Amino acid sequence: MKNKKNFELWQVAVIGSVGLIVFLTVWEGAVRSGLIDAFFLPPPSAVLKRMIQLSTGTDAVLLRDIRVSAVRVLVGFALSALVGVPAGLLMGISPTMRAFFNPVISIIRPLPALSWIPLSMLWLGIGEEQKYAIVFMGCFASVLVYTTDATMRVDPLLSLAARNLGAKRLQVIRHVILPGALPNILSGLKVVLAIAWTCVISAEMVGANVGLGFRIWTAKEWSDTGQVLVGMISISITVLLLDILFRLVERALLPWQKHGVHR
Amino acid sequence: MTETLIKIQNVSMTFETRKGRVEAVSDFSLDIERGEFVCIVGAAGCGKSTLLNMLAGFVQPTGGSISLDGDIIKSVEPRCGIIFQNYALMPWMTVLDNVSFGPRLKYISKKERHAAARLWIEKVGLKGFEDAYPGELSGGMQQRVALSRALANEPDVLLCDEPFAALDAMTRQLMQEELVRIQRDTGKTVLFITHSIDEALLLSDRVVVMSARPGRVKAVYKNDLPHPRKMEVQISERFLELKREVWDLVQEEVMRSIRERA
Repeated sequence: MKNKKNFELWQVAVIGSVGLIVFLTVWEGAVRSGLIDAFFLPPPSAVLKRMIQLSTGTDAVLLRDIRVSAVRVLVGFALSALVGVPAGLLMGISPTMRAFFNPVISIIRPLPALSWIPLSMLWLGIGEEQKYAIVFMGCFASVLVYTTDATMRVDPLLSLAARNLGAKRLQVIRHVILPGALPNILSGLKVVLAIAWTCVISAEMVGANVGLGFRIWTAKEWSDTGQVLVGMISISITVLLLDILFRLVERALLPWQKHGVHR
Repeated sequence: MTETLIKIQNVSMTFETRKGRVEAVSDFSLDIERGEFVCIVGAAGCGKSTLLNMLAGFVQPTGGSISLDGDIIKSVEPRCGIIFQNYALMPWMTVLDNVSFGPRLKYISKKERHAAARLWIEKVGLKGFEDAYPGELSGGMQQRVALSRALANEPDVLLCDEPFAALDAMTRQLMQEELVRIQRDTGKTVLFITHSIDEALLLSDRVVVMSARPGRVKAVYKNDLPHPRKMEVQISERFLELKREVWDLVQEEVMRSIRERA
């Protein structure tokens, strides 16, 4: 017998908070006791202080960095979804399209977003367009593959049932394939959204004058490890918030799915 | 005066597989009258489902022809509504949307199709579940939804592909009684595939026994058991007699098919 205990939501929250507090306390303690040099790893209290400094007063660059990076992520991500989802649907439905595009996709897909930085800077400079392009190149192929896969996973029996009820080819796509593939498309997009963040941070570290990646990189140049950590934590918090937002969208779009149960 | 609705004439079906040609159905002929309830029984793999797919127009026979109301079935035929064993309901549609899906595909107005769907939902005993999603319903309830979805599309024929096989015994019994009641109410023609002889005898006007692969008509029984077929009928002399006769034939075919596979 497996011990499967189901906690209430508040219990999960309490246990989680305790875990977090223990983690932070050990970290703080390790630095204060001199076990770790505060220069290499500042304690949480110092990071918090630096975070407040960076988000208030004349030096308040943090919120702007977060906003700029988030916009870059969302624009690039939206572009890749806008192109990748319809193309993926097409490839999922048509074996000819699949056979035609698969070789090209297979060449593009394994390329890390970082490898596009030289060309993209040559073509687009270090402005916003270049950031969008990096995110797009890093995400597009994944969106395509996730969507193709989601489309092909739709139970063929449902298409058969729809045709039996009189659905024409386009009606099958509109009423069966699209809604049937939607849950897997959305979970694919959720994974891609995280990829989009790594793309932006990398791009900002190489060439930018604003954004979280830039902030972390310049902090390193000045040996400001506190600011490095503030930047890193800001990434975590922003990604977490976006993920929550994404889940809400998912819930609204998929009312028939039981939530809380991972499938 | 009876009228032939479905005419299956010398139908055969062969598939090309990697292991060579497989003859699934061979020289199968059967006439079904309007309003008749016909059950087809046969061993596993006897081509029952192939036959049903041909009637629905999903596949074309490699020999012979099937006509519905005088028209040869050449493409997907919505006049033959299917009840699948696995319900095949759209999980993202509510019960009401599932049941009104057929009319929606014909661009019938929302008001009109919902009104019709509500009637069918009530008829299968699901009033109050209009806004539920299939995933929230039991297997028996989902099959009721599938039944009303098929009926709301106003087919001439109901094709049932072992629709109650996945249900528990008690739910199955209820569904069988309900199907007979609805069939007698609506006068729909039903072609019902099953591997249960009891089920066939409980439901049908005629029982067709199929031979093992390639599927042919081995025998046809007129089922003269009186309605309603409650428990007294199910333990009557005549029921047992029919059951034995059909079982003897089916058993022969099962044994033959086991020998051939070995």
